Amino acid sequence: MNAEQKRAWLGVATMAACVVGYLVLLPFFGPWAAAGAFGIYGINGFAGLIGRKERPDERDKAIARHATLAGAMASYLAFIIGCMGTWFVVFAFRHEDQVYVHALGAITQLGAIVFFLARSVAILVFYGRHVEADNA
Amino acid sequence: MPEITNCIRRLRFDHDEMTQEELAQRVSVTRQTIIALEAGKYTPSLALAFRIARTFNKRVEDVFQYEVPIRE
Repeated sequence: MNAEQKRAWLGVATMAACVVGYLVLLPFFGPWAAAGAFGIYGINGFAGLIGRKERPDERDKAIARHATLAGAMASYLAFIIGCMGTWFVVFAFRHEDQVYVHALGAITQLGAIVFFLARSVAILVFYGRHVEADNA
Repeated sequence: MPEITNCIRRLRFDHDEMTQEELAQRVSVTRQTIIALEAGKYTPSLALAFRIARTFNKRVEDVFQYEVPIRE
């Protein structure tokens, strides 16, 4: 397992810890306060310390590029669905013309978290699949 | 299925049973990449294909074969 895969596993493990933390806090503090459990994902900031001396070769770089693209696509999708979903809920069910202020932060964080999670999962998947170099 | 196959594994054995690690060092990639190449899970760049072929003193087309996919 190389450094990129270890970083990806760290991303997936911390997301799992976030979800567990959220589910544990939810009954006690409610949905908005419990969302603070997603702060655990900040541990991923230490991912840069993993394998600093390892030099990625062309396959590692190709996989990283493809995974970043997959992460960006998933993030954009989550962000747009989050924005449109919020509008739908506000106008269809609440009959208001104001968006709850906490929703904006939540949607932005959703986009960021989906990006990093999707990128991590894509890296783990691509290392097990057939990959082509960019100029193959 | 990959369209480009290779005979790196056989060539390694023909060259004094060269290890994957040794070949990886010679062509400046990781051993994991050599494993992926031999398993047909990675199609290399042209530059890497040339480096591998020259390591074995072969032409690129002697190491890598392009198989036209059969359409039904």
